[in-house]
Amino acid sequence: MDTKTKVKDVIVKLLKVKPEEVREGLSLEQSLGVDSTEMVEVCIALQKEFGISIYEKEVAKQHSVEQIAKVIDSKKK
Amino acid sequence: MIKKIAITGFGIVAPSGIDKKAFWANIKAGRSAIKKIERYDSSLYPSHIGGQIHDLDVYSHVSSRLLQKIDPFSHMALIASEIALKDAGIDVSKENLNNIGIFMGNALGGWLYGETELRDLYIEGREGVSPYMASAWFPAAPQGQVSICYGIKGYSKTIVSDRASSLMAIGHAIKILAKEKVEFILAGGMEAPLSPYGLLCCNTNGQISKNNEHPEEAYRPFDKHRDGFVVGEGAGIMILESEERAKKRGKKAFAYITGYGTTCDGVDRIKSDPNGKQLARAIRMALDDAGYSPKTIDYISLDGAATLEGDISEVAAIKEVFGKYAKDVPVSAPKTMFGNLLGASGAVDVLVTVLAMEHSLIPPILNLKDIDPKCAGLNYCRDRAKEHNIRRAIVISRGRAGINAVLALEKG
Repeated sequence: MDTKTKVKDVIVKLLKVKPEEVREGLSLEQSLGVDSTEMVEVCIALQKEFGISIYEKEVAKQHSVEQIAKVIDSKKK
Repeated sequence: MIKKIAITGFGIVAPSGIDKKAFWANIKAGRSAIKKIERYDSSLYPSHIGGQIHDLDVYSHVSSRLLQKIDPFSHMALIASEIALKDAGIDVSKENLNNIGIFMGNALGGWLYGETELRDLYIEGREGVSPYMASAWFPAAPQGQVSICYGIKGYSKTIVSDRASSLMAIGHAIKILAKEKVEFILAGGMEAPLSPYGLLCCNTNGQISKNNEHPEEAYRPFDKHRDGFVVGEGAGIMILESEERAKKRGKKAFAYITGYGTTCDGVDRIKSDPNGKQLARAIRMALDDAGYSPKTIDYISLDGAATLEGDISEVAAIKEVFGKYAKDVPVSAPKTMFGNLLGASGAVDVLVTVLAMEHSLIPPILNLKDIDPKCAGLNYCRDRAKEHNIRRAIVISRGRAGINAVLALEKG
């Protein structure tokens, strides 16, 4: 499973939304109405999933799934 | 004398039923909803019985995404608010949101959420705690969730006064309405005390019944063999508006709130003052506010703490205010059927009284077999509902440390 799919999977499970609601190219705020508190939860869930430290300033609600995946991939290198 | 405030809709979420019809059918039949708490192993608690709600999800339109962020007490408030608004025929989106208020009462906060996250804090560390912890557990959280759900922006408040919280919230709400600060108010209370830690706190408080063998018979205020009240969960929310506004929109009021009184005993951190003097003063205050003489009261909804001081002082207060008439005016404590909903108890008692007025039927007090001689001399409506025309009534709600609140009502 690639990083993008994994990120999407984490978000779908955490926020209890349908996979089709997470729309490509749109930020989490635009597609799901994610607020800053939910973003804290997203960061923690991603940290657990990928086993790396992810800070709130690196991953924001203004980012899309693709952008978040890129941040994670760059940190894994 | 305050303005007459109309109750034009209400939502009850209680162990005896969520739908108004189902709830009233159980109350009318004198059916107990007190059972052993089985949602977790409660058997080691000295008292492990209560009034529980099992079918909350059936009535809920709250998304599972939101449910993760709120405690059950907010969930109950959202359901009760939705039912109340529908009952009142109000579409909030067509109202001026700045002119709607929310007045809620709660005693404990949302402990299921709080204690779950605290457990995670100690097991998983800081990062194990949900960021929603801070906004989910505190007593005003339901007020916030209801305001967010409907976009309500008017003068609002949450009252924390132990078991008298919601009656006091209604008392504050009618004063705000009388001052015309808002057009209408969602008023009432909610409580979810049956979480493992919540129930433990209720146990250590030392005022709840340990009659685990006979849950349905455990809550027996004014009885010689009383051993405390039984805790329940639920919410009661009503729509309050001025008589003029209700008439203008062609909505018949179920009942009117006509008076309110509140006092403190100022004696003990837990117990009521046995002489009942301050409760008597609160009753007089509510009657004077409404312009009623005691003889015109057709029904009294009792607090029924089922503690020695609580029961004795309540009876003493009624005798002091009602004099010779105390032996005639019908009294009962319907909460013996579904439990004491703590911060939500006063609001639910008001709604039971409104239903009693509508159906001309006094709901019973259960389990009062052997009246404590110190509590004798009142006209208790025992075990079975009794036909009786109720035009005027008072509702008594009290909290630990001698908080007394009384509301006067008139049939719509």
